[in-house]
Amino acid sequence: MELTDADLIARVLADDDQHAFGELVGRHQSSVRGLLRQLTRTDISLADDLAQETFIRAYKNIRSFRGEARFSTWLYRIAYNRFREDARKRKELVGVDEELLQAEHDPQTVDPGLRHDLMHALNLLPLHERTAVVLCCQNGLSHDEAARVLDIPLGTVKTNVLRGREKLKRTLAAWAPN
Amino acid sequence: MNAMIDDETLDRQLREAAPYIDDDGFTARVMAKLPAARRERRWLRAAILIGLTVLGSGIAYLLSGGGRFVVAGVIQLSSFPIWLLLVFAFGCGLVVGAFAVIFAIRKTPEARDLARFRL
Repeated sequence: MELTDADLIARVLADDDQHAFGELVGRHQSSVRGLLRQLTRTDISLADDLAQETFIRAYKNIRSFRGEARFSTWLYRIAYNRFREDARKRKELVGVDEELLQAEHDPQTVDPGLRHDLMHALNLLPLHERTAVVLCCQNGLSHDEAARVLDIPLGTVKTNVLRGREKLKRTLAAWAPN
Repeated sequence: MNAMIDDETLDRQLREAAPYIDDDGFTARVMAKLPAARRERRWLRAAILIGLTVLGSGIAYLLSGGGRFVVAGVIQLSSFPIWLLLVFAFGCGLVVGAFAVIFAIRKTPEARDLARFRL
């Protein structure tokens, strides 16, 4: 029988079982790295560095995980915080997204080769909308869980998801062949 | 321009568009960077506890004049009525049993998870 996340966490807590933690890393690495690749706009090297630090931070702080949320939600929160810290250092958190948001409104600036690529359409969204859409629509978090990950009000998450979806739909509709 | 797709279709397409990322040594790199397990400190803690217990027992033995209090206690117990000894033994059994159950639950991940996690 396959152990649940809770079983593995319990082993890490009780015996400092690093093999159990390794199993948790293996289970969640794809979604955490995927989230960070979206946040860093597919900078794979940076995203993987941040993902590594996310898991190391999770291991060091696993005693603070009280099981009130899913383990994956807790990991996303650490990953998002780590991304924000890094973005603050790089001074990229504000500014870049606004440029790309402007670009989205100008169909001429969209590479025709990317027309059917949803992931690239996603990358055109501003950071707050992209993050909300990735968490809720792609990773299946509830609005409430996403609000906890992002540490923002529930209403803001709903608004960001709604706006992000609408923009994606508009972009995809514009890209679709007539 | 084509009609816009609905939310459900968009979400499904987003999920399908996100590829599974192969581990490709990622987990091994994380494991290599984890801090050492705290097992050494557990041994140290156990050694300190055992050392203090032995030291305390030795001091108690010396201060009690070679453990005469134990002999005195047994002699005193032998003068108690048999029903009182049975009640005392039963009570001790209950207390030890209760502690055993508590520790067994704490050492059993499945039982502990029921109390601690809501995953």
